[in-house]
Amino acid sequence: MVSVTLENISKYFGKVRAVENLNLKIEDGEFIALLGPSGCGKTTTLLMIAGIYKPSKGNIYFGDKIVNDLPPRDRNVGMVFQSYALYPHMKVFDNIAFPLKLRKEPKDFIKKKVQEVAELLKIEDLLDRKPSQLSGGQQQRVALGRALAKEPNVFLMDEPLANLDAKLRVIMRVELKRLQKRLGITTVYVTHDQVEAMTMADRIAVLSNGRLQQVGRSEELYNKPRNLFVAGFIGSPPMNFVDCIFVEEGDEAYLEAEAFRLRLTDSIKKILKENARSSELILGVRPEDIIISERKAEGSFEAEIYAMEPLGRDVIVNLRMNDTILKMMTSSLFKGAVGEKIWVRISLDKIHIFDKKTEFAIL
Amino acid sequence: MIKALRKAVLLIVLLGPLSALIAFTWIAPAVLTTFLSFFDVGLGLQLRPVGLGNFYRILYRDLWVPQILQTTVIYVLGVLAINSGFGLVLGILTAYFVKKESVSLFFRTAWLLPRMTPGVLYVVLWMWFVDTRYGLLNAILSMLGLPTPYSWLLSKPHSQIIMIAINGYVGASYGMIIYSAAVKSIPTDFFNAAKVDGASDLQIVRYVILPLLKWPILFVTAWQTLSLLASYEYILMVWGDTARQANVEVWALYTYDRAFWLYDYGYAAALSVFLVAAGLIMIVLYMKIFGFRRLMEPSRVEV
Amino acid sequence: MAELKRRVRRILGSILVYAVLTVPLIPIFLMYTWLFVQAFSDRVIFGIIPQGLTLRNWAFLNNPIVFGGITHTSIWVILRNTLIFTFGVTGLITVVSSLSGYALSRVQFKGRTEFMQFILALHAFPAVILLIAVFYILNKMGLYGKGLLAFLGIIIVKAGMEIPMSAWILKGFFDVIPWDLEWAALIDGCTRLGTWRRVILPMIMPGIAAISIFSFIAGWGEFILVYTYMATEEYFTLSVFIHRMIGEIMYVRWGTIAALGVFYLLPIIFFFIFTQKALLRIYIGGIKR
Repeated sequence: MVSVTLENISKYFGKVRAVENLNLKIEDGEFIALLGPSGCGKTTTLLMIAGIYKPSKGNIYFGDKIVNDLPPRDRNVGMVFQSYALYPHMKVFDNIAFPLKLRKEPKDFIKKKVQEVAELLKIEDLLDRKPSQLSGGQQQRVALGRALAKEPNVFLMDEPLANLDAKLRVIMRVELKRLQKRLGITTVYVTHDQVEAMTMADRIAVLSNGRLQQVGRSEELYNKPRNLFVAGFIGSPPMNFVDCIFVEEGDEAYLEAEAFRLRLTDSIKKILKENARSSELILGVRPEDIIISERKAEGSFEAEIYAMEPLGRDVIVNLRMNDTILKMMTSSLFKGAVGEKIWVRISLDKIHIFDKKTEFAIL
Repeated sequence: MIKALRKAVLLIVLLGPLSALIAFTWIAPAVLTTFLSFFDVGLGLQLRPVGLGNFYRILYRDLWVPQILQTTVIYVLGVLAINSGFGLVLGILTAYFVKKESVSLFFRTAWLLPRMTPGVLYVVLWMWFVDTRYGLLNAILSMLGLPTPYSWLLSKPHSQIIMIAINGYVGASYGMIIYSAAVKSIPTDFFNAAKVDGASDLQIVRYVILPLLKWPILFVTAWQTLSLLASYEYILMVWGDTARQANVEVWALYTYDRAFWLYDYGYAAALSVFLVAAGLIMIVLYMKIFGFRRLMEPSRVEV
Repeated sequence: MAELKRRVRRILGSILVYAVLTVPLIPIFLMYTWLFVQAFSDRVIFGIIPQGLTLRNWAFLNNPIVFGGITHTSIWVILRNTLIFTFGVTGLITVVSSLSGYALSRVQFKGRTEFMQFILALHAFPAVILLIAVFYILNKMGLYGKGLLAFLGIIIVKAGMEIPMSAWILKGFFDVIPWDLEWAALIDGCTRLGTWRRVILPMIMPGIAAISIFSFIAGWGEFILVYTYMATEEYFTLSVFIHRMIGEIMYVRWGTIAALGVFYLLPIIFFFIFTQKALLRIYIGGIKR
């Protein structure tokens, strides 16, 4: 196995900057997810690791060897595509055996290896079929098999679960994760689905507009988003953002928004005074950090129920205060009617504060 | 370095044969013919330079040129009307009005028949059809008590009508296929929406299909003008060297005539240079109008 | 009442549709009917009513046609020439366009757009310029009108005339192969050429089939080149042979002409019946993919 290092990688297509100055080290045996909306450069990055694209700037290392000019066939990577990219004119057996045949492995070895992979993925019965005769889930396994048969040093996956139905996707999530841990292959997994990234990967690299936003474990990204983009992208329903201004009145400090005024604790006040470069801020509150208070109390606001989105176990309550709408996540035990007024408060120890201009997190 | 070399080898393997063929059959002949147009080429192919003499002869001294030009214009416009205009009718009918795919496929292939039939045989069929004594056309006309011409092939306007018909039957399928493909690529939602809005089929054609077919129509018309300008094979097969007397000799055939029946190669070369010039001006114009991308995908519907 | 009116209108409408599609085709259908009827009868009246069924018109299969004191070349020699010409043209076109179609569709190189523009612009050159130049070349080489070399030469010329369009059409077929498959093959260990041969080519077989049929029909029907450059009958193809027969024996033996015509038409009928979808695909080709 091998570690993969991306050093100041940029990729331009004409004037389009697909990836800009990306630095990322993927440890040997690590499972890393590249997460971002479509067009953020994650697939381009993957294809650069595969050797299909050559970076316009920067270096790619496998271990400590620069592989920029190494053609794909000499990199020993395995890749699974969203479309699976199975060769339609070959049987399943030949699909899996194809990379081994190209390596001119002896026939017996190929047969043994294909059998082994097929057993691992439980597709022994499908070897004689053509890809067009397989279901989506089966095709997906064959694609995995083809990538695994060559015992790759690096395993690349481009939205491999995107074309599966929801139920199968949940099952495959677990299986892929187990498989990766068992084989210990360094894996780069591209997805736009935060649930996939968070449940499967050891670490997640969030990309947007070709730039790396943050790398970290899922709880880090969730609890300590580095900027507004990551805060908004990770978590469902997404974090509430409210424009506000930092004001001081005597000893007290407040965040003043259009709909409410939030009194800050001393510690938050201290951090803001030290780090905020401007008084224009954005307050971020996760839906589960808005809490219903029984009655009017210190720090609570009155809000009107604007809409209810029941999810079964939980319910998302849309709250309206003047022109501001906040999403609150609460237990479905909560019984409220649209139009009703309730009292809520925000748990101050969980709030996030961002600079409005730079969009970086201050708190 | 090695990478560049590898790429070069790849390109030579993939594009070498094409480039060689094109150089051999298109570029070299074009250059050679242009070269010959400045000479008087004798029967023994000895070259006598005449400068612009051949061109001067075409423009001022050749008494046939006005008639040839007139025939060419009639030919191109007449066949174009069928290829692009009637082809449009066929395309819309087979792709929109005939709802059943198998029926539509039948008609489309039936209209392909003249195009697929080897030219010589297609001509035999027509020669029988218009034959004065033995042919079906005159038999039907006289049965209906209509006057029959002495010959359909000898003089205009009959000869020119037949010329246009013979070529039109071959050409109609080209427009038909491109138009029907274009109609098929219009999302059915458009038709359904128009129907919900209360449009009749004719109104759908008028307000939905035709506006969307603007580019395909322009493309087919432009492209076919070029093809027709250069074509002469069917006329040659029917009339041979009597084409000029029958008033069906178009410019391209006149070129052939001058070269291979009158052995005036230099003059023929000069005649063909005019065709090349006309063609080049048009194609440059087209690339300007359509843009190269559109020429690449002529059936693209502007949705 | 309104319901009835609407129905009448609908029926009239579809009658009109089918009339426009069918009526202009009637002469063509009649011509074909005549051809087949005439090929098997002495005389035909009103185009389609045979008088005296016979196989006499097919005598050319056994014995060379004799007319006006000239014994013509055997039809089998002519057929052999036609097959050599047609398969030569088909083979060349198919191989060259499947190589170049891939390059035009998939390989980045400097001047790619210009090259494609150039190929498209070739449409502006009338084929007749080629005839004059090729005539001059053949003559200077002393090959005009005779010889196997001239025959082989015009095979190449014919292929060359068709190649821009064929390469273009086949490029359209390459264009729709997903890039994923190409990438997968590269990652699995193929070179670029290996990808073309092992993965992409098998996938565009329908396109290859369409191009082969297209070039077969073009080669089988070719007239002008052989007519212009082949002076001796031993190198004639069916098209030129039949054309000569029209000139010589028409008005006298329509039956023989018709039988020759049916003989000539056989492969076309085969394609017409069995490969309709592929045919439409060719003519849509490059355009709608």
